[in-house]
Amino acid sequence: MNIAPKWLLHCAGPAAALAAAVCAMTTDARAQDYPTQDIRFMCGFPAGSGADVLVRYMAEKVRPVANRTVIVENKVGAAGNIAAEHTARAKPDGHTVYVHAASAIAANMHLFKKPPIDAAKDLQIAAGVNKQPFMVMVAAGSPYKTLAELTAAMKQKGDKASYAQSNTSGKVMGELYKQVTGIKAVEVAYRTANDSLNDFASGVVDYGMMDPVFALSHTRAGRLRMLAVSTAERMQALPELPTMAEAGVPGVELLTWFAAMVPAGTPKPVVETLNKWFNQVLATDDAKKFLNSFGGDPFITTPEDGQALFRKHVKDWEGHVRAAGIEPQ
Amino acid sequence: MGFDLFQNLATGFGAAVSLKNLGFALIGCLLGTLIGVLPGIGPIPTIAMLLPITFGLDPLSSLIMLAGIYYGAQYGGSTTSILVNIPGEAASIVTCIDGHQMAKQGRAGAALAVAALGSFFAGCVGTVFIAAFGPPLAAIAQEFNSPDYFSLMVLGLVTAVILAHGSVIKAIGMVLVGLLLGLVGTDVNSGLTRYTFGISELWDGIDFVPLVIGMFGIVEIIRNLERSTLPRAQFSARLKDLWPSRKDFDASWRAVLRGTALGSLLGILPGGGAVLAAFASYTLEKKVAKDPSRFGNGAIEGVAGPESANNAASQTSFIPLLTLGLPSNAIMALMMGAMIIQGIQPGSAVMTKRPDLFWGMVASMWIGNLMLLVINLPLIGIWVRLLSVPYRLLYPAILLFCVIGIYSTNTNIAQLVLCAAFAVFGYVLLRFGCEPAPLVLGFILGPLMEENLRRSLVISRGDPMVFIERPISAILLAATVAVIALIVLPQFRKTREEAFQ
Repeated sequence: MNIAPKWLLHCAGPAAALAAAVCAMTTDARAQDYPTQDIRFMCGFPAGSGADVLVRYMAEKVRPVANRTVIVENKVGAAGNIAAEHTARAKPDGHTVYVHAASAIAANMHLFKKPPIDAAKDLQIAAGVNKQPFMVMVAAGSPYKTLAELTAAMKQKGDKASYAQSNTSGKVMGELYKQVTGIKAVEVAYRTANDSLNDFASGVVDYGMMDPVFALSHTRAGRLRMLAVSTAERMQALPELPTMAEAGVPGVELLTWFAAMVPAGTPKPVVETLNKWFNQVLATDDAKKFLNSFGGDPFITTPEDGQALFRKHVKDWEGHVRAAGIEPQ
Repeated sequence: MGFDLFQNLATGFGAAVSLKNLGFALIGCLLGTLIGVLPGIGPIPTIAMLLPITFGLDPLSSLIMLAGIYYGAQYGGSTTSILVNIPGEAASIVTCIDGHQMAKQGRAGAALAVAALGSFFAGCVGTVFIAAFGPPLAAIAQEFNSPDYFSLMVLGLVTAVILAHGSVIKAIGMVLVGLLLGLVGTDVNSGLTRYTFGISELWDGIDFVPLVIGMFGIVEIIRNLERSTLPRAQFSARLKDLWPSRKDFDASWRAVLRGTALGSLLGILPGGGAVLAAFASYTLEKKVAKDPSRFGNGAIEGVAGPESANNAASQTSFIPLLTLGLPSNAIMALMMGAMIIQGIQPGSAVMTKRPDLFWGMVASMWIGNLMLLVINLPLIGIWVRLLSVPYRLLYPAILLFCVIGIYSTNTNIAQLVLCAAFAVFGYVLLRFGCEPAPLVLGFILGPLMEENLRRSLVISRGDPMVFIERPISAILLAATVAVIALIVLPQFRKTREEAFQ
């Protein structure tokens, strides 16, 4: 039973927050009343990061659909795990939603010695957000036009070849590519993808495994060229770009996907409601255009399929981390 | 070329000078000044939170507003540096050194006015600089590879030693402590965490905001409170004292020119251009001054030079973004995000495909600088009056804003604990006569230096000759050797010691 007066709930700002707090203390809101208070979207990266831009966009678009205030809260640290733990321990009522790369949370299960949560058990996927590939890139002036040409040339070059990466996914993709093809290129690590641009241009690195935002902007500017995407299927945003398997390197598969995650044990009707909201936003042209501009496709899925993919990624990353020789922290 | 320049600027002013765009420039500048004045609340979270609002605006208006926040914060940051010794952001740390001394001597008005005028002048030059030399300069920045960055950082760190006005040994010690603090967190090359003691809050490294607020702001408060009589800042509302004297102008105009030149050049380089520029300008002013002993005791050149330098650099740091699509710092990365959302791919194509947008933004930079001057000059009287508030009322307010600022960066209590630890550490350093400025420079440049050193050696497969073979790197290292020679030459040492005893 909701005993807070209706007018209190409609007040904006602190009054609503207070009312919400009163509700939470006095009685559990029933699932069909959801949402009964402001909704919090947790963001695992600082304000202003790429992830933050995405979370704030979704918050902006879900707000009118949910007809509720949606607040973005940045809980930064430990590669997204602090926000993941915060969400997992939150009340399972759908008012705390972690909008983050589910693939990264899955990866963290093996990148950390003591992961604070059991990702696929403690978190429930409510909805998908996007799917993003990683790209195999070469400089625009590079002689290699296809992945097969690059692979053949790198086999020739042996350990004189170098490649760029700027994060864990790029590192894993680089290692998997080397293992599948047997090439011996040396990894050059960069703090951000942008730091690598001068080294691409001057030929210091022969190729790189880069994120789609970086890849797209510099391909359009005519400085770099994309050879293949790391996903199992081609991207709608880039239909002309082959997958690595199509380009002759099977067995390298890496997908980044953002999702809306809620604590396990959140009532099914609440999860369904969230799913409906997100899918409604993702179906708009505006959302498609927004996600495409960052090199991704909208990811419309059910909570069940999302959870299955989540479990698969937790399993896959165990192999990825071992393959890349990353020592858990 | 000359004709093109004027035609381009005309296009820009045509696009930027609409009532709507002027309005957005004003909103941006006001917001920026406000967040710049509040310690710890930086432009990055502000721009991030305003980003969704700009989705609905047209691209030029939204970029003008975001850019206004950026310059506004630069201006506002120097205000707190001068008044209460709390740098609003990294580039205004140097302003604290002499600016706050001036405020203590009752010359806060002069310091604020010189900072505002110097910044305005530098902003104007920076704008013309972008319009005239943007593309060719961007091409030079593109020539910088890892070894060159390493050598640049080495030069920056060595010059940091000159910054201090105590013993050279202590200054070197401080730079090294800064380097060590900078290494905390995840190592880029191996992906392993270092010096984190299993505390997950330290995995991403020590945040800049708690460090600076602890070591500068809180230490300053402790220092003021430990006096038996609380300081009453000399305060004079006479207009004469709010405005720089003839002598002040004479002393500072050359510093403004030199700072502007340095800042315009260093701003183009990605990664902390504005910070390096401010430090470099201070070093240069101290070197060329007839009487270097005045530095650290309220030398107006020590405010004029660095303030001009950091503002010129914050202007020219748009060059890599606008011409290459390369963000040179976190704020530029945000601006890039804003452009992508608007369907604009940052880079040279913007100049040819959307000249109104490109030149409109360049023109709006100048307009923004003018607005800031108009906003800030009348405010000087109010800021200075703030100092007449009894310190027992002022300090809890400052402390409160510091705490809010730190907490708001990522809503993590651990940051406040860090800040408290740095305040204690900073106080101990103060008692030992060690200055925090070289430490902060080491903290900022150290990780960049290490990263580029190791990357250079990976690329050269372990051959250190790579630092001498590349001409840019070789020149920078030669300059470093020259600076070291200046420090160790006995004659220099003598004058140095004379100067500071």
